Amino acid sequence: MEGQKEEQLAKIRTKLKELLIDSLSLEDIEPEDIKDDEILFGEGLGLDSLDAVEIVVLLQRNFGLQIKDKKQAKNVFYSIDTLTRHVYANRVK
Amino acid sequence: MKVVITGIGVISAAGVNLPQTLETFQHVRRNADFTSLFPIDLPYPVFEVPNIPEKWQGNRIRTLSLALCAVEEALDDAQLSDKLSGLRVGVCLGTTVASQLNDIDFYDTYRNTGSAPMGPVDRFLKGNLAEAVAGAIGADGPCCTVVNACSSGSDAIGVALSWLKSGVCDIIIAGGADELNRVPLCGFGSLGIVSDSLCAPFDRDRKGLNLGEGAGIVVLETEPVARQRGKNPLLFLAGYGLTSDAYHLTSPHPDGIGLESALLKSLIDADITPQDVCFVNAHGTATRDNDRVEGMVLARVLGQDIKVLSTKGYTGHTLGAAGGLEAVFTAAALREGWIPSSAGFVNRDDEIPITPVTKKTPIYGHYAISTSLAFGGNNASLVIACTESHS
Amino acid sequence: MSLSIAGIGIVFTRGRGIDSYDDALRQGWIPPSQIELPYVPDKPFLVYQIEKETLTDRSILKRIRRADRFSKMAVLAAFDAVHDSGITREDEISSLGIITATALGPHTTTFRFLDDILDYGDVNVSPTLFSHSVHNAATSYIASVLNSHGPTVTLTHFFFSFHQALILAEAWLNEGRCKHVLVGSVDECGAVMEYICSRKLRTAQDGRIKPFNFSPFPLAVPGEGSVFFLITRGECRKRYCEITGVYMGTNNIEEDRPDMYVIDANGLTEDEIKYKDTLIPNALVAGYAPVFGSIMTGSSFNCAAAALMLKNQVQYACPVQDNPFGVNLCAMTEHAQIEEIQCIKNSCDQKKAVIKLKRS
Repeated sequence: MEGQKEEQLAKIRTKLKELLIDSLSLEDIEPEDIKDDEILFGEGLGLDSLDAVEIVVLLQRNFGLQIKDKKQAKNVFYSIDTLTRHVYANRVK
Repeated sequence: MKVVITGIGVISAAGVNLPQTLETFQHVRRNADFTSLFPIDLPYPVFEVPNIPEKWQGNRIRTLSLALCAVEEALDDAQLSDKLSGLRVGVCLGTTVASQLNDIDFYDTYRNTGSAPMGPVDRFLKGNLAEAVAGAIGADGPCCTVVNACSSGSDAIGVALSWLKSGVCDIIIAGGADELNRVPLCGFGSLGIVSDSLCAPFDRDRKGLNLGEGAGIVVLETEPVARQRGKNPLLFLAGYGLTSDAYHLTSPHPDGIGLESALLKSLIDADITPQDVCFVNAHGTATRDNDRVEGMVLARVLGQDIKVLSTKGYTGHTLGAAGGLEAVFTAAALREGWIPSSAGFVNRDDEIPITPVTKKTPIYGHYAISTSLAFGGNNASLVIACTESHS
Repeated sequence: MSLSIAGIGIVFTRGRGIDSYDDALRQGWIPPSQIELPYVPDKPFLVYQIEKETLTDRSILKRIRRADRFSKMAVLAAFDAVHDSGITREDEISSLGIITATALGPHTTTFRFLDDILDYGDVNVSPTLFSHSVHNAATSYIASVLNSHGPTVTLTHFFFSFHQALILAEAWLNEGRCKHVLVGSVDECGAVMEYICSRKLRTAQDGRIKPFNFSPFPLAVPGEGSVFFLITRGECRKRYCEITGVYMGTNNIEEDRPDMYVIDANGLTEDEIKYKDTLIPNALVAGYAPVFGSIMTGSSFNCAAAALMLKNQVQYACPVQDNPFGVNLCAMTEHAQIEEIQCIKNSCDQKKAVIKLKRS
């Protein structure tokens, strides 16, 4: 069971990395270059407010997920890891 | 050289002309609802013009109808209707929607079938806003459309000021116009800055903007030309400041240095001090970022007690029209001697050092400012003046 | 009017940089690309496109990763104009005025945004695409890359967008709003616009725009690109020429005879016969649209060619020399003494604009 969960988390993580690279036009980066616990904003990937709203749409389109408000976004979007776990726990698609 | 405002005209959800608009302001009526213009899957109220006067309804381009309605009022006010021949009259207007080839039906047909009727394309190619208005009123001076996003209307007035000072022409019809459209409504919605309730500029609990539509037009002349026509104008365009944040495509600089610079430049241009300013018609969109930054800068430059309002509580954010509408409202307020309450504001936000007016407020003084901030980091500040003060 | 052109940047089908443009003008006409339109596969379409490699520049574009082709073209041309001028002082660059002229704006991004509405619904559209579909996105990026906080404006007036930009540049310099102004144009091709061109224009099947046919039914080959000029009244390290006048109107403008006319005949207007009527008999004439393609804001490209000719005292041979009316066209690339050039644009509704340039 645990193994299955880890496998699914890994799949989601990879897909998220690919989607982020594509949607946010992250240049010269491959999915394997992004650490699993990479911080998204500030340091790490250095994303900004426009990227944040793009990720909201990305989650809606690909996983059927809504982000309620900025407070939730701040927690969910902290790192690749928090994003992955949120998708795993709540995905509709 | 003094540039005078000899005519003003306006149309928005607040009214189809200035008297109706002032009546709406007096009674704090907020005419917002879901749009009737197009189907849309979003729960946002908008400020739609319910009844474009029949005379202007024939146009296939709604923005042009709105513009011509306001232009007619402004030209009447300036006593220039049917009197343009022989004069060098220019037209400079700001817009956003009307400059884009974004007809969804056209594109949908093209995607599905590989071809589409060229009607929308032909309308677009004949529809440069300033050119179309110039053609409709018989103005044969220079004309140009400014596409600076949300400060287009203000910047069109700024361009007109530059033209007049350079002697490019004698009289200019300037301002902005924009229609409600599904495309920007979807776009602003995706940015997470549109409210599903009535907007509350500068309010502690503000949730975002409401879109609106309309047109705001001023007739600008050099003072000698106006006097030669027998006009004794009260209002004049005293100054203009324009800067760029050079920071981000959609967010204002968090310290507001660009807006501060634009404000200061406009004061210098008008040769006045902050103490001379009796009120500010702020950009005040009701987004978290704009109002916080703008409020902070207004306090910093003009003092925390400066009288401030946002008229977007009555009109919504009319994008390319906003600067034009708000220039007209600022001019009218100076002339009439009062500003309306800043509709939508209830509770002060501790992060914002200014407090908008909460009731109809008399104003005393000769000078007022209208500010506009735009996507792309544009900051515009217009100083409008009245030779008579109601003190 | 007296404005010095102190620097030029250009991005077009044959590359980037004023030297590339000089090379292209010397080389003459080369065939356009043949592409397939997405929904009309059996009808190849001719176009002068910008190659992908031209729009890659890690050092300049790394700060603006989301920028679309439209913005990238403008940023590179504007950046190059500043670099070409030799202006390096931070205070001068940070107070630059920027005026961008565009006829059609970033339409490819607009259509991509419409794709989102149609494919994903009103709720699931990309905010990044929306933010880039506004006409002033390119200007915003230019300001950002240069860290320039001066006045910035984007104007649109179809064929006369660039002329309006020059008029405003002079006004800003008169008023002292800025010491230098970056003035330029940007317009792009794209699949939908190419389809529209295939419907509305007569395309030159041999790929040759013929400016001197003065045809009532002229032929076009769409192009795209951006040109920016660093305009100043101040001291500058380099000076291409002076712009001494921009005239617009419906009347036939009586002018002194220049040494050369450059006409913006490019197949985009319904009737080019007016160009013939404009020319003083036997005056030397050129037209360079066959080098960069049919672009609504193509006047800026011809203006750049004129600036090069005045600076280098060379006349470039017309790239396509079909000449049924026997006008005195520039047939050879060679040294020439040129003091004044007039660049002329006629539109289909009798409007005309003239840019006068003089040797410094």
